[in-house]
Amino acid sequence: MVLASAASAAAILGGWQLGAASTSVTAPGISASAGSSGAATAAHGGISADPADGTYAGGVVSTRFGDVQVEVTVTAGRITDVTALHLTDHDGRSVQISNRAAPVLRQEVLQAQSASVSMVSGATYTSAAYLQSLQAALDQAGFR
Amino acid sequence: MTGPTSTATFGAMGTVVSVRTLASGPSGPDAAAAVEEVFARWEARFSLYDPASELSRVDRGELRLAEASEGLRDAYSVALRWRDATAGAFTPHRPDGAIDLNGVVKALAVHEAGLVLDRIAPVGWAIGAGGDVLVSGAVPAAPLPVGIVDPADRSALVGRIDLGPRGRLAVATSGSAERGDHIWTRAGDGPSPFVQVSVAAGDLVTADVLATAIVAGGWEALDDLAGGNDIDVLAVTRDGGLVATPGWPRAAVGFSDAAGARTATPAWGAAR
Repeated sequence: MVLASAASAAAILGGWQLGAASTSVTAPGISASAGSSGAATAAHGGISADPADGTYAGGVVSTRFGDVQVEVTVTAGRITDVTALHLTDHDGRSVQISNRAAPVLRQEVLQAQSASVSMVSGATYTSAAYLQSLQAALDQAGFR
Repeated sequence: MTGPTSTATFGAMGTVVSVRTLASGPSGPDAAAAVEEVFARWEARFSLYDPASELSRVDRGELRLAEASEGLRDAYSVALRWRDATAGAFTPHRPDGAIDLNGVVKALAVHEAGLVLDRIAPVGWAIGAGGDVLVSGAVPAAPLPVGIVDPADRSALVGRIDLGPRGRLAVATSGSAERGDHIWTRAGDGPSPFVQVSVAAGDLVTADVLATAIVAGGWEALDDLAGGNDIDVLAVTRDGGLVATPGWPRAAVGFSDAAGARTATPAWGAAR
């Protein structure tokens, strides 16, 4: 997750409650991983010096990108992952912040034979190129 | 929403436009005629191949932008907003300083044509314009399966996306797969790492602009724009490899196997 700034990170992480009910706007969920070293003792808020392994959901924080609720994974006392559970922009639309492109195998994404699609999307083809295109064949089949 | 469909095509903007409606709606030719009229107006205003078009007159200095039609100024402002949103990877400004709105005009024309079809073909429609595809979002519809052309073999597909579900109503593909042409990135950056980029989005302008911007801006643009926009992306790299965002459909999320075993006859496709 890319955080907009250190200030945003501090604002988000400042809302963490480990092991105790949250006093923030929404109650965070707490789920200890299988590798948890034991129940966290948390009579106080804030991140303890040595938090128990697990995943922790923070309270909802308002940022300039909208409302954010993040989930933090703690392993061996260190934050090893931060995931956004909910992010909306100020119009209330969901914004994906982990939409990173990654390599994919051809056989994973090739899920269609030419005959099973209705239209094709390719780099813009001219009228001349259209005549030899798949789209022309599909349109021909669709003329009825 | 199933049933036989009606397809009609016409030429516009140097390419071919396909219009599909359900046979229970207006006839294919009637729907296509309505779409053709929209395209004719957009072409008359924005075509740079027509010296009499309003945009040609602006680019020749015969007409001041401030005195141009609202339609032209609106299209220009759309393009400028996207230039800002893509950090310049998409731009309506040619190196010679002329305004070229080709990057948004086709999608805007398709969008307006869709509004017309919403009125006359409310049970559903699909428009394909030279590789861009937009479907109706007005009614719950059977998904429209759209194949992504393989840039290395334009008679084959490299992927597929179903338009309709998950708010993906449009897909656009940018790139230069013919004759090995390169899409050049901004001055000094060299050829694009992507031979082809397909973007699925909620509207066609977003899909079209971002597909172009990612080709032009390379890996950095792919990461920035996929991260900041609600889109799915499938890109083909120069060595023929594929990269895709997590939401791009793939085998793991319930697609049929490569033989298409699960694919029922699509509502939009010809029964085979």
